[in-house]
Amino acid sequence: MASAQAAALIRRLTRGDHKALGEFYDLYSGLVNGLAIRILRDRAEAEDTVQEVFVQVWQQAARFDPSRGTPEAWLCTMARTRALDRLRKRSSRREEPEQSHAGSAAPRTEEAIAVRKALDGLPSDQRKALELAYYEGLTQSEIAERLREPLGTVKTRIRTAMIRLRGVLGPSS
Amino acid sequence: MNEERLLELVPLAALGALDGEERAAFEVALATNPALQRELASYQELVGRLGLATDPVQPSSAARDRLLSVTRPSASRRSWLVPALAAGLVAALSGLLLVRSEWDAARREAAAQRAAAQEAHATAQKAQAEAAALRESLASEVAFRELVSHPETRVASLAGLAAAPGARARVVWHPGRREAVLVASGLAPAPAGKAYELWIIAKAAPVPAGVFQVDAQGRVVFRLPAGLEFAGVRTFAVTVEPEGGTTAPTGAMVLAGAVS
Repeated sequence: MASAQAAALIRRLTRGDHKALGEFYDLYSGLVNGLAIRILRDRAEAEDTVQEVFVQVWQQAARFDPSRGTPEAWLCTMARTRALDRLRKRSSRREEPEQSHAGSAAPRTEEAIAVRKALDGLPSDQRKALELAYYEGLTQSEIAERLREPLGTVKTRIRTAMIRLRGVLGPSS
Repeated sequence: MNEERLLELVPLAALGALDGEERAAFEVALATNPALQRELASYQELVGRLGLATDPVQPSSAARDRLLSVTRPSASRRSWLVPALAAGLVAALSGLLLVRSEWDAARREAAAQRAAAQEAHATAQKAQAEAAALRESLASEVAFRELVSHPETRVASLAGLAAAPGARARVVWHPGRREAVLVASGLAPAPAGKAYELWIIAKAAPVPAGVFQVDAQGRVVFRLPAGLEFAGVRTFAVTVEPEGGTTAPTGAMVLAGAVS
């Protein structure tokens, strides 16, 4: 499966094998770029984020710890952190970003399908609150303000959603 | 905050959605609570996997070439050792697009520093008024004034917690020079045999950052011991401790503030 292939590539990367970087990029640049586009809604900025993430992979492959999750989760975490940093630094932040149409094709791996299904299975109010935290990097108070809901309600929704996702998706394979 | 309440905050913390006092209290507890650290790591991994729900979109082929040329081992590996130089190298080698984004980042950084300096100046003016009124701790006040005149100086606000709801404080520090001053008000004088102790919390356990007392009006301008490490600081917190200070927090927390 892709993760085993990725683990082998990461081992080569830690030895400074530059060719492995190209292979790793070919496996995952679409994933990183898709997530960056979803957060930033700007292709040029998303590609800059992809660049930063894979430069970081090249420099810090040795820091990848398989006991803490899959390479995909590691990459998504780096991509989300960097994309949200860019979002926060934007001077003119859009209040209500337009809906992205990038997300119409089906995700490819079994795990991706499971994650998508788990998110789709959440009640819409929970999902909405979770997405504001995940894709827009809003804090609990900002989400409460955006949704015009009490802070306690928002916290409960997000917590319930996360507990449910963990129950459905289980520990990483 | 008890264990159950802390564990309830973990899913929100993993998403980076905590804010205010809750975030500060969570980070303080996290520094010394391995069970909480494990639970957070588990949820952070889940947060990472949620990224898989987004459909892949292939970047342009130019982006691949750019990455491989920037990282090609013939480029000086030594300079990778210095992150600042590495950022410069990336910008230099990866075309106008990245140059522009690096330049924008530098410009935003400069703007952020100006804003921080302005905030520091505002804080300084307020603190000067307080310090003059109190006519105490002249050395601290001089250090503070000197400190806030630097553009690299950073400021964190600390809010009073349940044990001292009326308290508030600011820590002003210069990371490079490792100098810092705390200005606090609204604190009750510490009980006999006790004092307030300030903590710097980065990724590991809280680091003691000095013991202080407040005056009869509950105020203090306190110069932190020189040479403290501020790199990676996430939270400042103040607890009530024995007069001589301790190496790890033991008493009630009265003030805490996250570093933004």
